[in-house]
Amino acid sequence: MPRLRLKTLKADNSMLSILAVKIGEITETFFLEQIVRFLRFEDPSLVTSLFGCVLLGAVLSLLGSFMVLRKMSLMGDTLGHAVLPGICVAFMLTGQKALLSTFAGAMISGLLGVLLIGWIVRYSRIKPDAALGMILSSFFGLGIVFLTMIQKTGTGNASGLDKFLFGQAAALSRSDVTALAVVTLICLFLVLVFYKELKLASFDPHFAAVLGLPVGLLQTLLMILTTVAVVASIQAVGVVLVSAMLIIPPATALLFVKRVSSMLILAIFLGMISGFFGAFLSFLGPSLPTGPFMVVCAAFFFGLAFLFAPAHGIAVVFFKRRARRSRTIRENILKSIYHFFEGKNFAEERVTLEDLAAFRSETVLEIKKSVKSLVGKKWVQKEGDWIAFTQGGKDLAVQLVRRHRLWELFLVKEAMLPADHVHADAEELEHILPESVMRELEDSLKHAKFDPHGKPIPS
Amino acid sequence: MIQEIQNLFGPVYGWILAMGIAVSLSCAVLGSFLVVRKMSLIGDAISHAVLPGLAIAFLFSGSRATIPMLLGAIAMGMTTSFLIEFVSQKSFIKKDAATGIVFTSLFAIGVILISLFADKIDLDQECVLYGEITFIPLEPHFYLGNLDLGPYPFVIMSGVCLVVVLVVILFYKELVLTSFDPALALSLGVPVTFIHYLLMGLVSTTIVSAFESVGAILVVAMLIAPAATAYLLTNRFSKMLLLASLFAVLNTFFGLYFAIRLDASVAGGIAVAGFAFFLLAFLFSPSQGLVSRAIKRA
Amino acid sequence: MILKNFPPIELHDVTVSYHRRPVLWNVDLKIPEGKLIGVIGPNGAGKSTLIKAIMGLLPLSSGWIQVYGKSAKEQRGILGYVPQKESVDWDFPVTVKDVVMMGRYGKIGLIKRASKQDRRIVGACLEKLGISSFADRQISQLSGGQQQRVFLARALAQESEIYLMDEPFVGVDAATESAIILLLKELKNQGKTVLVVNHDLQTAQSYYDDILMLNMRVVVFGPTRQVMTTEWLHKTYGGRLKILTDAAAAVENAQG
Repeated sequence: MPRLRLKTLKADNSMLSILAVKIGEITETFFLEQIVRFLRFEDPSLVTSLFGCVLLGAVLSLLGSFMVLRKMSLMGDTLGHAVLPGICVAFMLTGQKALLSTFAGAMISGLLGVLLIGWIVRYSRIKPDAALGMILSSFFGLGIVFLTMIQKTGTGNASGLDKFLFGQAAALSRSDVTALAVVTLICLFLVLVFYKELKLASFDPHFAAVLGLPVGLLQTLLMILTTVAVVASIQAVGVVLVSAMLIIPPATALLFVKRVSSMLILAIFLGMISGFFGAFLSFLGPSLPTGPFMVVCAAFFFGLAFLFAPAHGIAVVFFKRRARRSRTIRENILKSIYHFFEGKNFAEERVTLEDLAAFRSETVLEIKKSVKSLVGKKWVQKEGDWIAFTQGGKDLAVQLVRRHRLWELFLVKEAMLPADHVHADAEELEHILPESVMRELEDSLKHAKFDPHGKPIPS
Repeated sequence: MIQEIQNLFGPVYGWILAMGIAVSLSCAVLGSFLVVRKMSLIGDAISHAVLPGLAIAFLFSGSRATIPMLLGAIAMGMTTSFLIEFVSQKSFIKKDAATGIVFTSLFAIGVILISLFADKIDLDQECVLYGEITFIPLEPHFYLGNLDLGPYPFVIMSGVCLVVVLVVILFYKELVLTSFDPALALSLGVPVTFIHYLLMGLVSTTIVSAFESVGAILVVAMLIAPAATAYLLTNRFSKMLLLASLFAVLNTFFGLYFAIRLDASVAGGIAVAGFAFFLLAFLFSPSQGLVSRAIKRA
Repeated sequence: MILKNFPPIELHDVTVSYHRRPVLWNVDLKIPEGKLIGVIGPNGAGKSTLIKAIMGLLPLSSGWIQVYGKSAKEQRGILGYVPQKESVDWDFPVTVKDVVMMGRYGKIGLIKRASKQDRRIVGACLEKLGISSFADRQISQLSGGQQQRVFLARALAQESEIYLMDEPFVGVDAATESAIILLLKELKNQGKTVLVVNHDLQTAQSYYDDILMLNMRVVVFGPTRQVMTTEWLHKTYGGRLKILTDAAAAVENAQG
């Protein structure tokens, strides 16, 4: 009667399927009261799980940084899944969820998985991505086989193994958090001790090996630490979200900083903040899961960084470009005024709006608007109907024309481009070229006085 | 033992076996392309990232009807694939890290959605993630006129499998070329992006259809294991597809058999069987195997 | 389609950037028909970029490119491409014959299968490059030279009017090198136009009708004997690049 057997299993399963992680259920009151309660840190079980979340955010981000740096971001994900059969076997052998045997079992199967990935990649034509996916899914499959067998024995719920996927931060006991704190401290200590070795081994393992660093040993150390951290965190946030915390805060940090040390510090900070807000948000309502909120917080910070990181954030780049475009337009008008004066041999250094409009083939209205922005920049001043340079405006105009004509001359003389080709290029570069390049240009052009079209290069 | 094997073809396990084969076949065919495109982990990513798509589809349609679910999942699968490309192109985050960021975040959003609307969304999370092929409803059957085509889930999965095979046959040439040399494909005027998203769409569809049977994580085993095993055994892509399909059938058969004997998860059994075949190929493949090459050298 | 009034390849004021950093500046070129042209220049001079831009694989920051008077997109059928060898995964489970057949895909069209004629052409191309005996081998089981021949056979199977080859001589044995030379000459005799990126100055001197010297811009383009002088080589390979590089960096910075 196979159907019957399945029915009982189903009942068992649905008991497990109540979504985990409901710190909020510990106490059920109103929204604002919840916030106040949270901020008072009086509830001991809340404090425990809050500590747990912050700690695991820190330790996972720390270790994940090295994975991200070594372009092995998904190794953590694989490791997280690969520990399952080990944990199950440990439970089957000891019949209980003892801390030490769980760690030992997880460590053995996790490291075996990592080892196998290495072998598969080295000794066959299978590429790393397929090897990772292979080990991740088949170890997990083996774990599921064991898990279903354990559940049949009736001790399944006691094992806590059902929290493997989603975790349950509220279920973190004081001793779990203590263990997590110890793990965090050990990891922190070892990373500090071996900081420069780990840095070099992550950046350039071949060079590190040439220097005589025990690269293999360091990598194993990193894997062991990561396995321990992953196992310690899985029951709080679940395996998928553990990989999230291994990748997202370090990747966010990477968008901001250029140095490994600052990346580590920022990643840890982001991990802790995400942990804190994850716990906070899930506390606000009943049946809100902690782990996913942690990850969404981390992802939110990543999104912010992706948009607004000073160097490459896409919104920053967008605004920079827009600012540059409007600056270019302003500078072009400034240049036009210079050209107008130049056409009159600088006999009279002032011009009316009407003349400038005619000179630029624009309407007076358009020019009026542009000149206003130039006045705002204090590049020109208006005296009645007349427009004249300020000292700063004149200097800038001279600079622009100088850059334009020097670049044209360079392209014709040194890059050997035809004279009718260089204008468009110079139009762009006159707004960009820094003074250092200008010096180089002047030197290589032997301080020439005239551009390819015979116009004088001002200085 | 013979009795048990006969059972596999009997009225109860027969359908389960057929269902498993339909799932594994679609996965193996698509997985072969993922493996040679070095995109194996996109399967893992999509299978997690469709969760919010399912939740939203459920919120809108109010039921577990197949079509909205499929649409939600396909949309989410495409979004995942697009976001990964977007993040890795617009910043210096590497593709694997981008993958990890995108799918875990979407997964987290999915879990939050489901728990926020727990009273409205009747999605069995454990089922989505673990899956259990023996739980699929065998009644009612789907009838085409008077023709009994089998239980509904099986008919749907077979349909998906058929579509996958058909698309692969139609676009075989383009799929292979864009996998091998996208630059040449582009210069020949092959619609590279279209082919990429076509593949992603098929992968998403297959993954969602397979959820109930095998779950989000073990579907990855079905995508990769047969393809990777076949990859070690042949030098032609067409043969690789056929071999992967063969392994898909073998994995399902042995996986189911041992799962029944051990009274354990069938999907897990299939994954383990797949790994066992892979290890055999890894060690003893005539041209690629570790042992075979060692013997040749000796 | 070949419009005889137009040069096979014409570039007008073309600037190409990678990640907003210009790598080719204001290139003006008219490639004459039926010639064997060598493209030389130091590393990072934009040689591969030029080829890819002509193939339509890269967006242009400015200017335009025409192939026999039309855009590269419209002229796909007459452009044959030999990419650098490292651009593909040689572990890919395809045989030599499969790869050469890929050259026909543009002609075969979407969804349709290869015809007998396609197979005959593939056979002939294999024969011409002397790789018929490996036709059914997987491509990772070939030597570097043989792999290069596979790429050449594939380009040949495209039956193009213009061939663009990216460093076909890198890492090949002497036999392959002379096979490639022979093929280049034959293509030229058939009136095809061939553009070859070349690293080795020695060989460049003797193989090509015309030489294009490139260093972020066109340094010189002309008959081999006229331009292969120490003066031009010095201009191509020696200094002066620094300002262009600095300017390119400034452009990149300004655009974020």
